[in-house]
Amino acid sequence: MESEYMYQLLTKMKDGDQQAFHTMYDATYQDVYRTVTFLVDHQQDREDVMNEIYMQMWTSLANYDTSRPFHFWLHGLVIRQVQRFRVKSWRRFRIFERICSFSREEPHWDQPSVLTSGTNDMISQAIKKLTDKQRTVIILRFFHDYTLEETATLLDIPLGTVKSRYHAGLQALRKNIWNLPPERMEKINDY
Amino acid sequence: MTIERKIREHLHKEAETVECPPAISNRIEQFYSQYLQQKRSGRPMKKRLIGGIVAVAILIPSAAFAAPTLIDMLTRTPLTTEQVKADEFGKAALEKLYSAFPETKAFEIIDASNVQGVQTSIILQEKGGTGKKITLHTNGITGAIEHVIQENWEPKEKPLTALTDQEIISKVDSLIDKLYGNIEQYEFSMEQMENSNQKTFILNYSKKGSTTPFYQVFVQGNSISVSLIGVETTPPNKVEGFFSTNGKPDYFADAYLNDEKLFALLEISPEELKQELAKGKSVVEVAASRNVSKQQVIDVIAKTQADGQIQGEKNGDVPKSNRSNEQMLKAVEPKVLQVIEHKTETPSK
Repeated sequence: MESEYMYQLLTKMKDGDQQAFHTMYDATYQDVYRTVTFLVDHQQDREDVMNEIYMQMWTSLANYDTSRPFHFWLHGLVIRQVQRFRVKSWRRFRIFERICSFSREEPHWDQPSVLTSGTNDMISQAIKKLTDKQRTVIILRFFHDYTLEETATLLDIPLGTVKSRYHAGLQALRKNIWNLPPERMEKINDY
Repeated sequence: MTIERKIREHLHKEAETVECPPAISNRIEQFYSQYLQQKRSGRPMKKRLIGGIVAVAILIPSAAFAAPTLIDMLTRTPLTTEQVKADEFGKAALEKLYSAFPETKAFEIIDASNVQGVQTSIILQEKGGTGKKITLHTNGITGAIEHVIQENWEPKEKPLTALTDQEIISKVDSLIDKLYGNIEQYEFSMEQMENSNQKTFILNYSKKGSTTPFYQVFVQGNSISVSLIGVETTPPNKVEGFFSTNGKPDYFADAYLNDEKLFALLEISPEELKQELAKGKSVVEVAASRNVSKQQVIDVIAKTQADGQIQGEKNGDVPKSNRSNEQMLKAVEPKVLQVIEHKTETPSK
């Protein structure tokens, strides 16, 4: 996706061009939603975060650094909104409530469990068990293929911190996936 | 395979299975329209505020300003002052404003636009002076003034939010009273919103005894923004208790029979229909006496019900059933049949 083109779309969109909005939305929403899904566990919360992200998109266009790729800017928005969302303590309370009321229902990890049987399910579970900070780094690294340096810029934290979160995250994942029954271990460890 | 590669593959594979629910897209689209509307009416969008408005719009599906954005993205066309005065609703809105606030007659129409069949918007501003401004959005179907924004009516040095709660309330009260009347009928609740950038108050006016707000007011900086979000719960032509059991009104069929299109088909007023039914006739019999077939009656009622259901699903009020229109019509048919064949048992004397 051409950054220049996307920037123009955004500008048009901001001026009220609905066609531009649709083009921009269609080009981005799957990626944004998937990222949010990895970072936020509850359906309702994802919806709220999605909303905030898009709203932010047309209110903070002025902050777009045209020298950077569009996606970088977009992911910055996503990350910031997810973080802002986590910070809000009243939401935490709601999440708590929701966990209580939903715990009897289906799992929130958006995926039919049939498809994720076995190792994949293990990985999902293990990723879910990471702390939010570790998870963010892991998702940016492996889902969006950002380098650790880029991740540091994106999260606005020192590279050293990114590295330590990255390694701690991987460590935790290893540990969790290592807890698999022995016959699965082989499949994973075939370096 | 290394764990790194495993994780990467897993995430990409998993992402493939994640689809963004259309409800989210709809909601965002709605936000965008809302944003445009705010922008065009020359008012910067405050995020919290819009959040509030939309949250309410979602809660109350009848909120008139939520409806248009749900249907389609509509385009707004600018109007000249002459066009506003020629526009039926624009003229009515202006007259109402002039009689409520005579000083606005001297105001200049600085912007006006409409979306055909949805909304007419007019912005007036005082010539020179303190820049008093008032914005009216009227519903394009009913002509009701749905949204009023009154800006800069207080001296700059002392914006609204610097006033005491009591003063703010009396200002809001008088604005609503002048434009809509009957303020005594309403009770309100006031709260300050969590918004560090700007002090914002939200006031919900609801009919006494009702829990859903009728007017929602945002007071921010030097502006009061009133939204008419409620609707009359019992429009004059609604009749209750078409059937009766043991001499008491029975509401079971009301949802089906209170249908404008049905009344039109039978060429009957709701009151007349009720009287006919009270005599022990069924709707089918009433229809037959007017040369309307049973199937026609079923079709009309089923269509209204199915449309209502689909609209409800779109608004997110009811869970999506993903049924097609035809399937819904089929599903509702037996229920309709039961209603229209039902007869009130007449007292056996």
